[in-house]
Amino acid sequence: MANMKIKAKVKGDTLKCKIQAKHDMITYNIAKKKGVDANFITYMTGKIGDRIVFEASTSQFLSKNPIIKFEAPSAGIKKGDELTMYWKDLSGKEVTEAKKIKGVK
Amino acid sequence: MERRKFLGLGLAAIALVPAGLSAKDFRADKPTAWKAKTVDDAIKALYGDIKAEESGLSIKVPKIASNGGAIPVGMKSDVQLKSLALFQDSNPEAAVAVFTIPADVKKVNYMTKIKMAKTGSITLVGEGTDGKFYKVNKSLQVALGGCEG
Repeated sequence: MANMKIKAKVKGDTLKCKIQAKHDMITYNIAKKKGVDANFITYMTGKIGDRIVFEASTSQFLSKNPIIKFEAPSAGIKKGDELTMYWKDLSGKEVTEAKKIKGVK
Repeated sequence: MERRKFLGLGLAAIALVPAGLSAKDFRADKPTAWKAKTVDDAIKALYGDIKAEESGLSIKVPKIASNGGAIPVGMKSDVQLKSLALFQDSNPEAAVAVFTIPADVKKVNYMTKIKMAKTGSITLVGEGTDGKFYKVNKSLQVALGGCEG
């Protein structure tokens, strides 16, 4: 859990997820001031098995340690299934982490 | 390459992709959209010259954001969407994020936190599965800018 916090829970017919990625999200402005390279998350996906439940292309203007909440239909989710989150940043770093989905009967 | 031609190519490429196929990186696909300085330019670069209806979507933001470094933005839709794009007009570039909506999601309910340098407005544009475009705009005050670091 070093790079991401993942919460995924089924409630009725909805899968509710909350993700917090640990990332500084350095914008071009800040990078210029501090003399470092800009670096921010550019692409993010959430998958259960092969099924994509979340997908986003993002820019430098997400907050530091960005939080994302999303909902998807819970149909087809079995007990023991995991939500796999993946992100990629401007420097090319890629992180994948999975967490078991809670609340599945 | 001329912009008009580039956009035309982009649209053709989208038309060729089967509807069910997901996994699309808008940054790689539409590099110009992320460099656009204004919301209108960014929308044009992303979706082309569209006429959007002012309905179907809603944004939930605080009226006054005390900290511009992390403004919670709630995004909801009453219509089924293919993609959803979030813009604002107070930072150097307009685009914040583009979400690809999975086909089985009927109504979008997303939330994220964004940075805004000063008081401005947030625009949400959705591409419906029916081919129509939807749009909503909301302004908010930012007490302390978030892009200064």
